[in-house]
Order: sequence, then structure tokens, then C-alpha cells
Amino acid sequence: MAVGPASIARPAPVAGRPITLRGLLEREGVFSWIMLTPGVLFLLAFVAYPFFYGIFLSLEEHPVARAGRFVGFANFVILAHDGVFWQVTRNTFMYVAVTTVFKLLGGFAMALVMNQSFRGRNLTRAFLLLPFIVPTALSTVAWMWILDPTFSIVNWLLVHGGVITSGYSWLGNASLAMWSLIVVNTWRGMPFYGITLLAGLQTISPDLYEAAAIDGATTTQRFLYVTLPVIKPVLIIVTMFSVIFTFGDFQLIYALTHGGPANATHVFSTWAFDIGMSGGQLGMGAAVALAILPALVVLIVGLTIYLRRE
Amino acid sequence: MTSRRDFVTVTLAAVGGALAPRWAGAAPKAMSVVHESSFIKAFDDFFVQKLAPEYEKLTGIKINYEPVSVGSMLTRLTTIVETKAGPEIVATGVNWPYLFDAGLVDVTDVANEVGKKLGGWHDNIYDAVVVNRKWKAIPWGNIGQLEVYRTDWFKEVGVNKFPDTREDLLAAGRLLKKKGHPFGFELGHGFGDNHGWLYPLLWSYGGREVDKDGKTVLIDSSETAKAVDFCRKFYQETMLEDVLGWTDVNNNRAFLAEQISCTNNAMSILIVAKRDFPEIGKVTDHGLNPQGPKGRFHLFNVQSHAIAAHAPDQAAAKAFLRWLYDDKQLSAWLVAGDAYYAPFLHGYDNHPMWNADPRYLPYKDCLRTSRLHAWPGPAGHQASESVAKYVLVDMFAKACRGDSTKDVIATAAAQLKQIYKAK
Repeated sequence: MAVGPASIARPAPVAGRPITLRGLLEREGVFSWIMLTPGVLFLLAFVAYPFFYGIFLSLEEHPVARAGRFVGFANFVILAHDGVFWQVTRNTFMYVAVTTVFKLLGGFAMALVMNQSFRGRNLTRAFLLLPFIVPTALSTVAWMWILDPTFSIVNWLLVHGGVITSGYSWLGNASLAMWSLIVVNTWRGMPFYGITLLAGLQTISPDLYEAAAIDGATTTQRFLYVTLPVIKPVLIIVTMFSVIFTFGDFQLIYALTHGGPANATHVFSTWAFDIGMSGGQLGMGAAVALAILPALVVLIVGLTIYLRRE
Repeated sequence: MTSRRDFVTVTLAAVGGALAPRWAGAAPKAMSVVHESSFIKAFDDFFVQKLAPEYEKLTGIKINYEPVSVGSMLTRLTTIVETKAGPEIVATGVNWPYLFDAGLVDVTDVANEVGKKLGGWHDNIYDAVVVNRKWKAIPWGNIGQLEVYRTDWFKEVGVNKFPDTREDLLAAGRLLKKKGHPFGFELGHGFGDNHGWLYPLLWSYGGREVDKDGKTVLIDSSETAKAVDFCRKFYQETMLEDVLGWTDVNNNRAFLAEQISCTNNAMSILIVAKRDFPEIGKVTDHGLNPQGPKGRFHLFNVQSHAIAAHAPDQAAAKAFLRWLYDDKQLSAWLVAGDAYYAPFLHGYDNHPMWNADPRYLPYKDCLRTSRLHAWPGPAGHQASESVAKYVLVDMFAKACRGDSTKDVIATAAAQLKQIYKAK
């Protein structure tokens, strides 16, 4: 069958043109929805559904393998009267606040150094990313050995270096255990800050620095009045992400201390898991997990408003 | 027959009727069993390499074996029962038949048959697997938690036999710590070795978490206070500070690194020592938990098989369990397990597996004095919540780190009252 080349065919008038797939795809409104659908479905299935189911569960007394019974806010009322809940709340906020400050400062310093030109810069960048790349479960096992009372290399170095006479109990002492977890989390999370801020730093035009230098600005002034204002949006976004991730941190704590000793390192996620999955109280577990929500909502809304103003 | 339509209807009904029993009774092509990975590799291997292929040869049903890492079985079981999906035959531990009662099939018929064939079940096993007079799981063995100690170091301080009372053990521990061989009993948030010695400690002083009715919280008592005071002394005078943060791997590691002279553990330390550290293996032995003023106790860790309610063919799953718990299979499987699992069947009280090493025998002897965590309270959801929240472990741990006896008991009592909805 002979078919003329498409270019020869005269285009049909717009009015009354039959609806074709190609025509639909060319419409921006339709095409954008087609492209969005897989992502939206994915989010609905794996984010929205579990989230709303979590809210629903938190309003139920729901022992595992049995039907739930709607109890309203009773689970939250019980939590408010539970001393361990408040200890877990304090632990979580301390863990998030201290690690965020450490990661922010360390990551910023890392980014500033990586932004300089020096020999082996690319290799150093790759190495600095390692803590972020290695699966958390694996790096946590390494830290388990590093902090192990019997085999701890830290203790070995301190004892053999003459700093102390006998090793510290890094995970057995309540305060040291929390600080040990903070160090491990900082170690793991700092490259995320470093690499993101480095990307931000690289967008700053050298012209700005040159202009500032010509105006007689010192290094500190150039940092305060050129680097910081330009990088501020990136800084805020990266901090927001990091805070959200740290609030939900689970693997590291669960593997290293499991919330011990005597709940000194339990955070919302580990405690919720214990109550829901080990204790079989799914409703109460969900209520504990959702207890982070108000803090996160305030943070996200606050930062979003700030960014819009900017 | 009046019409073609009637003819077709009747014919189809007849053919369907003839085939239906065959379809309904058709054996499944495969079934799955989920288990916590055994510390004894040979136990898992025996199932995969010997039992499963043998059953497939016999019936044509393939048995898939899904091992779950140690300590993760409860999470896996929660997921299976809640989603009603996954393996049809599930392993259970401690009080889980109570916890998952509604999600498990009644296996009373199989349990009765097995009991009749193999000399009858031990009396106290009913507390662990019979829920509302229905067997919800069939136990194959107990992973006992006993005292594991270094015979050579104990001898060095003049203790030739494992101490029979708590005070004697404390006295031995004092001497051993002075000699640089402290004790190491887990007080952190592990899943087993902490509960393994702390519940028996409480009971041996007469303390109880909750009464039989499951409503009266009994923890606030002078007996509990005595147990707490003993624990603090025991910790301060015999142990390393680090035990407060230990999980289940730490005491095994410390014992095998010759850092501690005594701990409370399953038989895994001796088994690993015999295999990997034969010199340590030669000087490692087991003792029953020492007696307190109110007796000697051990913690149950009952390992059983249950059938999940979502199993598409429950009859086939029961048939497999009947075959598995037949003496021919079960006996050989337990031998492969190297006496790590102490069976609850009187027919196996003198099983040849106990002759392999006299050091295994205390794990058989402890069955008589073993109880579930919440004993004498009911083994239901509240018991699990208390265990998951480490109420008892933390009560003792806080006392060891220096909190007052009164405070730690008050905190535990408040938590237990909330869990048991008691006033």
C-alpha cells in the first residue's frame, strides 16, 4: 500500500481534529499528569497510605493478631503520663539537636576545604563521602567493634597512649552511650552536609569574591557577606532534611544499644518499634511514632515560610 | 430433562461434583516454614538437606525453609500474622502462642497424637502453648538460660563446684573479680540473656511482677526489694560496668575473649568454644541458676511450630507437622541440634543426645523449674508489653547504676500498672 510522506499531507484544521494519542501527549496538561502519575501512585502507596494508616492505628487499641478498638486519643493520654515517654522525648531532642549542630559545623568546614584547589582533591572528596555511602547496618557493625569494651580500639589507644588506665564503657555508661551514638551519627551524616554545601559553594560566582576583595573585604567578611547569604537557602534545606532523617534514625541506635542502658538512648523510633513489633501493641507503637509529628510539622512549616519570604 | 440448557447445567454440575473432592483435596505443591536461624548450623542444615528433601520425595510437596536472623523472629511473625501472608508454618518462642492466638490454627489433635506416641508432654509446657484449652503450637525444645562458668578460675579461688545459692555465687564472684576475672551478666537491652537471669533472680527472692489474675501488680514488695538489693551488690562487687549496655552478643564475646569468668547464657558459648576455642571449651561448664531464699527458677524459652491461620491448606500443614514430630524425624533432628534444644516429651527424657557431653545435662534439669516471663501472671499481650519495655531489666539496671531501691521499684510498679490497667 502506497503511503505518501507525512510532510506532504496537509494538516487537518484544528477545529474538529480527532483526538489522537499524539495529540493528547502534546497537550501540556495531559502530558504532565501522565509523567506525574507513577510518582504520585508510588507516594500514595508507600508514603500516604502508611502515614494515614499510622494515624488510624494510633487512635486504636490494637493488639497484634486481633481487631482494633477505637479509643480516640487514649493512647496519647497514656503516653503523657508515662515517665519513659518523656525520657524518650528528651533523648530524641538532644540527639537531634546536638548531631545537627555537629554535622552542620563539620559539614560546612568540609565543604569549604573541598572547595579549595589542592592536589588529590577529587580523591579526597570521594573518601569523605564513604561514611554516607557505606550501608548503615555495615558501618554500625564496625562501630560496634570500635566501641566494644573488650576489643575497642579507642580504649586500646587511650590505655596504650597513657591517657587512661582502664577502658571506658562507651555503651554501658548512660551518658557515654548517648555521646557515642552522637559521634557515630555525626560521622555518618556529615558528608551529606559537606557534599550538598559544596554544590552550593560552587554556584557562587568568583566575580563576587573578586569584587569584595577589591573593596577591601577580609576573608571573614567575604565569608559573612558573600558566602553565607548566597548559600543560606541550601543551608536551610539541607538542615531541614537532616533533622527529619535524624528524628527517624533507627538502625544505628537499635544495633548499638537497643535503647539501653535503662532507656538512656531510646528515641521515638526505637521505642515505637519495641512497643509495636516486640510488645504487640500496634496502636500504642503508632502513637509513639506519631509523637514526633508536631515537632516536624512546626519545623517544616516554619522553614517553608522562611524560604518563601527569602 | 426438558431442554438443552437443562442438559448442560446438569452435566456441568455432575462433572464439577466429581472433580470437586479431587480439587479440594489436592495437595499443595509447596509449603514454607519460617524459623529463627539456629546457633547450631547443623540443626538448620539437617532440615534443609535431609528433612525437606525427604518429605518432598515422600509426598511431592516442596518444603521451603526461610531462616530469620536471631532476635528477628518476633518481628517477622508480627508481619506474617498482621498481613495474613507469608509462610504457613511458623516458629514461635516464649509466650508467642498467646500473643498471636487469634492468628494461629488449633493444633490440639496433632499435639495429642505426638504426646501419646512419645511418652507424654511435660506438665509445665501447657502454660506456654495451650491457649484457652487449645494447643496453638507444638514445642520441639527449650533453649535454656543457665550459668556458664570457667571451671579453672573458679578452682583457683577454691570453688570446685558451681555455687548452689546466690550468696555463695556472690562470694565466689568477689574473689574472682579481685583476681581479675569479673562476672558479666547482661543488664542492657538485649533480647534474651538479660531476662534469662533477672526474672529467675526476682522469683528466687519471692518477687513477682503480677498475680495470677493478671490484674494485681505485685512488684512493689519487700521480696522485690531484696532481689534488687542483691542485684546491686552482685553487680558492684562482681561485674564490669559495661554489662549495663550489653546486648546478647556481648557476654558470649567477653567469655570467649577470657574477659569474664561467669555469665548467664544458652549453651551456645560452650558449643562455640568447643568448635573454635578448644582450650576454653575444656574449662567451660554449666550450672543451674543458684537458689534464692524462695527457691530456684529458670526462664522458659520454648521453641515451637505453629500454623498460621492464613495457611491455604491447613490439613497439609498439619500432615507435615505430624510427620516432622514423628520419632524418626524429630529424634534425628534434635541430635543434629547437639542438645541445644531440650525437648518437652517424656519419651526423650533419656534421649541419647544427652549422653554426648555431661555438661549438657543441666539444660535438661532446668526444665522442671522453668517459667514464662510473666509467671505467675497470664502469658498474654501484657506480658509481652512488659518484656518489650524492659520493665524488669531496667528496674535492676537502674538500681545497679546507683538509683535507690524504692525509686526503681516505684517506676516499675507505675509501668506495670499502666500495662496491666491496674489501679
